[in-house]
Amino acid sequence: MLVNDKEVNFKGNLKELLLSLNYPTEKIVVLVNGEIVKKENWDNVELRDEDYIEIVSLVGGG
Amino acid sequence: MGLIIDNTIINNRLFVGTGKLPDYSVIPKMHEELKIEVFAVAVRRINPEINKGYSILDFLPKTAKIMINTSGARNHKEAVKIAEIGRELTGSDWVKIEISGELKYLLPDNEETIKAAEILVKDGFKVFPYISPDLIVAKKLEEIGVSAVMPLGSPIGSNKGIDCETLLKAIINEISIPVIIDAGIGRPSHASKAMELGADAVLINTAIATSNDPFKMAEAFNLAVKAGRIAYEIGLPEEKDYADASSPLIDFIKGIR
Repeated sequence: MLVNDKEVNFKGNLKELLLSLNYPTEKIVVLVNGEIVKKENWDNVELRDEDYIEIVSLVGGG
Repeated sequence: MGLIIDNTIINNRLFVGTGKLPDYSVIPKMHEELKIEVFAVAVRRINPEINKGYSILDFLPKTAKIMINTSGARNHKEAVKIAEIGRELTGSDWVKIEISGELKYLLPDNEETIKAAEILVKDGFKVFPYISPDLIVAKKLEEIGVSAVMPLGSPIGSNKGIDCETLLKAIINEISIPVIIDAGIGRPSHASKAMELGADAVLINTAIATSNDPFKMAEAFNLAVKAGRIAYEIGLPEEKDYADASSPLIDFIKGIR
């Protein structure tokens, strides 16, 4: 699967993925295949090899 | 008098973009000391090794208004998604629609911007579209129900100032929602000029964030915005082609030999 465009081999749910890659679990939004997955559902989303995952947050911007 | 947007009185007509700031701690300082109320932010992917838990979210004052910028969006679908992400992260429903049609001048794609505005207004966002200074586009957006329009003064980060005064003035004259001049304002004098023209506010990013002292530069812009606004409210004098003497043209002294 791709996580922020990086190839990652992982089996498990979304929450486990974030923890294994050392992402913070606060102040982020996660998109799986372009759709926002609410934090309360991270445990329920079992990931597949073809998933496209993006982990985003707020940054400075104009 | 303050500017009213979304039933909120905004007393400070200088809006500040936070991109390129060397240190986010200047944000609360600007809010407290300069009373700047509106700050723009953006949404990007993060990298845990680089970001290491350092987040702009820790520096945004609770009493400030946060405007989510959809920069990076290439079409209306991406802009809508970024707005949703921004609302999830900040709780703010103020969104600046910025959809770049190309990368050299970063000019906004007005057509995609109108599409995004239609969706976001329906979704309950307070919408601030960044547009080329086109009165017809501004009128369409006003009809859709956006909270203000944000026409550019000149291309983003160009520091060229108010490059299309006549077109901006047309928008200011012809629509009744607030007009916030955004982009290209490089100097305090440019900001004064925008306010003298009748803009309701300006949004400044690059000129403040990349200056040698962002806080002091924000202070300079703050004064300039206030000066321009006061002059606009009083009414500026008309321009003339010939001199109009300041001192009386009678009772000259004539006896000197």
